[in-house]
Amino acid sequence: MASPESKSPEQSEKNRKYDRQLRLWGDHGQATLEAAHVCLINATGLGTEILKSLVLPGIGAFTIVDGKKITVEDVEPNFFLEADSVGKSRAQVATEMLLELNPDVTGDYIDEEPEQILSNSPDFFNSFTVVVATALTEKTLVLLSKRLWELDIPLIVCRSIGFIAYMRIQIKEHTVVETHPDNETPDLRLDRPFDSLKKHLDSINLDEMGFKDHCHVPYLIILYKYLEKWILEHRTLPKLYKDKQQLRDMIKSGIRRDEHDSSNSEENFEEAMKAVNTCIRASEIPENIKNILNDDRCINLTAKSSSFWIIAKAVRDFVDNEGKGLLPLKGTLPDMTADTEKYITLQQIYYKQASADAEAVWRRTLQLLRQLGRPSDSILEKDVKLFCRHASNIHVEKGSCIADEYDSKVFDTNIIVQNLETPESMMIYYVMLRGMDKFQAEYNSYPGEFDDQVEPDIVKLKTCLTKLLSEWGCGPLAKDDYVHEFCRFGGAELHSVSAFLGGLAAQETIKLITNQYKPVHNTFIYDAVTSNSGTFFF
Amino acid sequence: MATTVSGVFREELRDAILRSKVLVVGAGGIGCEILKNLVMSGFADIEIIDLDTIDVSNLNRQFLFQKKHVGKSKASVARETALTFNPDVKVVHYHDSITSSEFGLSFFKRFTVVLNALDNRAARNHVNRMCLAADVPLIESGTAGYEGQVELIKKGLSQCYECTPKAAQKTYPGCTIRNTPSEPIHCIVWAKHLFNQLFGEEDPDQDVSPDTADPEATDVAGEGALQTEHNDKGNIDRVSTRVWAQSCDYDPEKLFTKLFHDDIKYLLSMDNLWKKRRSPTPLNWRELPDGVAGCSKEINQPGLKDQQRWSISKCGSIFADSLKNLSQALKASQEKSLDNHLVWDKDDQHAMDFVAACANIRAHIFGIPQKSRFDIKSMAGNIIPAIATTNAIIAGMVVLHAFRVLENNLRACRSVYLRLKMNHRNQLLVPEKAVNPPNPQCYVCAPTPQAVLAVDTSNMTIKELEELVLKNRLNVIAPDVMIDGTGAVVISSEEGETEGNNDKKLEELGIRDGAILKVDDFQQNYSLTLFVVYREKPGPKDDSPSFLILADKNALKPKDEEEEEKASTSNGQNVTEISDTAKKRKNDSADLETEVANKKRKVEIDNNIDNDDICIIDNDNEHHNLPELKKSNPRKRKLSEDTDCLIVCDDHID
Repeated sequence: MASPESKSPEQSEKNRKYDRQLRLWGDHGQATLEAAHVCLINATGLGTEILKSLVLPGIGAFTIVDGKKITVEDVEPNFFLEADSVGKSRAQVATEMLLELNPDVTGDYIDEEPEQILSNSPDFFNSFTVVVATALTEKTLVLLSKRLWELDIPLIVCRSIGFIAYMRIQIKEHTVVETHPDNETPDLRLDRPFDSLKKHLDSINLDEMGFKDHCHVPYLIILYKYLEKWILEHRTLPKLYKDKQQLRDMIKSGIRRDEHDSSNSEENFEEAMKAVNTCIRASEIPENIKNILNDDRCINLTAKSSSFWIIAKAVRDFVDNEGKGLLPLKGTLPDMTADTEKYITLQQIYYKQASADAEAVWRRTLQLLRQLGRPSDSILEKDVKLFCRHASNIHVEKGSCIADEYDSKVFDTNIIVQNLETPESMMIYYVMLRGMDKFQAEYNSYPGEFDDQVEPDIVKLKTCLTKLLSEWGCGPLAKDDYVHEFCRFGGAELHSVSAFLGGLAAQETIKLITNQYKPVHNTFIYDAVTSNSGTFFF
Repeated sequence: MATTVSGVFREELRDAILRSKVLVVGAGGIGCEILKNLVMSGFADIEIIDLDTIDVSNLNRQFLFQKKHVGKSKASVARETALTFNPDVKVVHYHDSITSSEFGLSFFKRFTVVLNALDNRAARNHVNRMCLAADVPLIESGTAGYEGQVELIKKGLSQCYECTPKAAQKTYPGCTIRNTPSEPIHCIVWAKHLFNQLFGEEDPDQDVSPDTADPEATDVAGEGALQTEHNDKGNIDRVSTRVWAQSCDYDPEKLFTKLFHDDIKYLLSMDNLWKKRRSPTPLNWRELPDGVAGCSKEINQPGLKDQQRWSISKCGSIFADSLKNLSQALKASQEKSLDNHLVWDKDDQHAMDFVAACANIRAHIFGIPQKSRFDIKSMAGNIIPAIATTNAIIAGMVVLHAFRVLENNLRACRSVYLRLKMNHRNQLLVPEKAVNPPNPQCYVCAPTPQAVLAVDTSNMTIKELEELVLKNRLNVIAPDVMIDGTGAVVISSEEGETEGNNDKKLEELGIRDGAILKVDDFQQNYSLTLFVVYREKPGPKDDSPSFLILADKNALKPKDEEEEEKASTSNGQNVTEISDTAKKRKNDSADLETEVANKKRKVEIDNNIDNDDICIIDNDNEHHNLPELKKSNPRKRKLSEDTDCLIVCDDHID
């Protein structure tokens, strides 16, 4: 039934294809996704699973870095490699297969080992939005981690070994404007009404209203009127439960009855009573937002400061001046029983004030850009508006460099010691994976990779672990079970575990690209045998 | 396959995988992923079933399909694509409904394990019963946006899908929809009804014309409007909307004038309705306003071009366009068979345009804020956001659960919930402490299933008992119903045998307070004893359901307000504490979906024994949720399990 001449705005095939995800991150989120260029290092089964879940929702481009030729072992856990491709370039075949998933995505590959690239063309990584890596050796990981830390490009390192999944996110700093909180508290300012709101609210007299008008007054006005009375008596906001209960009782006493139908009471008053808890509170800046605004990066902007910090500084200046100690107004109202005109009037008052606040922040942003010698179009007005709307929920994530975990001089091992004391802590798998790294560095294979070497490998892996643990100041492992298990895995990848982790890592990549939702902070470990998982911050 | 990972899989598991026969129900978002995982894990004998065909909106996650496959059978294409990656696997596909009688007990008994990847509750209920009857382990899963869950259903060991009451579909009183809408959703429901009246399957309960039997309008005698001739259902006698529309060749001006001018004028004449309300304003086809009136045209969200609201004149032209396209489509399909009709589909451009335009025009008339097409699509289509990543995570866990089932390690199959963000224990994945034991009062998996039906026996007909209670609410497919004691058969699954009973009231056949009904469904191998309790029919303005299904009679006793308050509050606090008791209810995917789709609305807190099904997924919100719980509207509290939580949104994979 498609007709090309239709005037409906939601007609593009792209929008229809992405409809179900646009509802999560919006058009602007999709736009950032389509502008992103993701680099995958090593097209292992896990690597291609991650990329698959990024190609489907439509990232702009990807590049696969992989110097290996496809082996029989590669084909097995990798859905995107076929048996007849053995001997071909793994990067090339994976690129071709993944591109079939989505014609909107472009992709290319580099048929080289990441070590080579890091030493031969250090600028290679400069242009990526995010780098995702699997199956790295300890040495390469440390080099790559340092390089991307310098470049301030996010790195996600993933491993899928037997029944264990591991993901580590390295970001120097990640700022999120749209965190999508579960419960957003309405920003109504009933305790400190701005001028236009106060003027409007004061112009309304509930007592003089007829019944029809009275039962169509938005509850916000009712709350304001009774709060005014309460404050007159008590000289302070109702804070305790019993204060709020008193306020509710006052509101209840104001309900009128319909002369025709006594059972018909006023819904708007009932709503007002219910809203006491969420709407009556002191307007103030949340503590975590104050910390962001007082951050050194906010106060002392430099020529290199990101848009986020420049707008944050503009907001900070706004708070100190026009805002009189408060953030820019959100400008949205909750739904309420009211006649349309009264509701719209109120909505307009909030909307106009929010626009004026955002306008003020925008002017300040332009001023800061001038001072920094940056072009005035380097930040868009709509980004300032978005920031203002979400100002009370912004988030700054500070990360750490993976290479530090491999440098005993800077690595704080307390977290390992403490967590190992908890039975069933997932930390044990971090230790096992690190032991495996060490094994691999020394013997150039995974423990248990070759069937005839399992027994000697158990002894070798144990030695690696003992060394590592003593370096970190931990006692030796109580049981050998984990060592046996890892040698049994032989470094092999289980497809369902890779599929699981692939989804998770792609999800985090999308969070980093779109700057929406808070990312995992910063290490995730999953044990597919028990379904247990854990998150650690290194 | 899977030979070199022999080390990872113990030999017994590897053999069990090779010997197993697996059924995947659904080839949508999760189904595609599961099929891939199975093929990649060494499973050699797989069957997959899906009724659906491929739509463009599937392509962002259902990776076994490509653009060239749009319109083809999902099950068939999924099989084809999976086989190209591993031609050695045996995959059988069915392009069919799992509820069809072909797939009976003997079909289910052939499988070692069944993996659900469904998008609707009716099919989930059915597979649940079939697997219980066949005693085959079932792994149930679902996703909604960033959230999801996986659980094992095994007879006698774990909760079945129906052990926890699911939120019933939100219904709106007919006169709110037809006469006095006050929220955007009322206009959207009306517009969908209108679509069905004009192009779809005609349903007398979906009338869109003014309802003259509105009790509010009849409060005061001698109303002018009531003088008009009307039939006993309250509808003015005239030719059906469809016939009339066809007779004027779906002329947009004529239709518009009838729907948005004449009918509104008629409503205005029922002046009792407008004493306390803002009265509606009839619209003139030739004078449609340009601005986005009634809702501040300035308040457009910046940057969201798809999400802007239309002016009324734009709604008018879209109304005309979509009307033209839809009437042509109807005509074309009726040329094949006169019985054909269109089915409303949120992803069909004209069907969606039509509903968005009509809903907004009606909203304008009644002074209700208008919505963007994007938002209306969410509300009308019960759309659950869906992405590749969540499906991949959940499908991975489904197959890992299947491994445990094959190792006969059923107790390790704890339900796992994937959360949007970490909880207070820093968990993104939250497993239950143990497998949830079955609910001993479950009307499906208890040894002798029973339930209480509270209904106005003088009012409900046998047909309504069959359609509304047995089929819709209790999810039986082809019921046989006998009155216990007399042995009289009141409903038979044999066609034509009991048709004479259809219009009789329950009482006429001796079904009164205290009666016991034996309900059997041969196909599902399911028997239920239904105790009938008299309950007065709710008034037309009351939006409580016309009947209740309860676990026991005590649930009918009213409780006072204070008690309710306490119950819900303590409940809110206890969500994490009560963990593995028999009372424990977890959030099921449907509730989860509901929550996601209706972020703004609060989940109703129910005051009966099952009130702890709020959901673990939310357990880090308990602190700030507390005030919200208290806030929950006592007026809307029902003492039923039928808590009319919101619109049911089961459509996460669609």
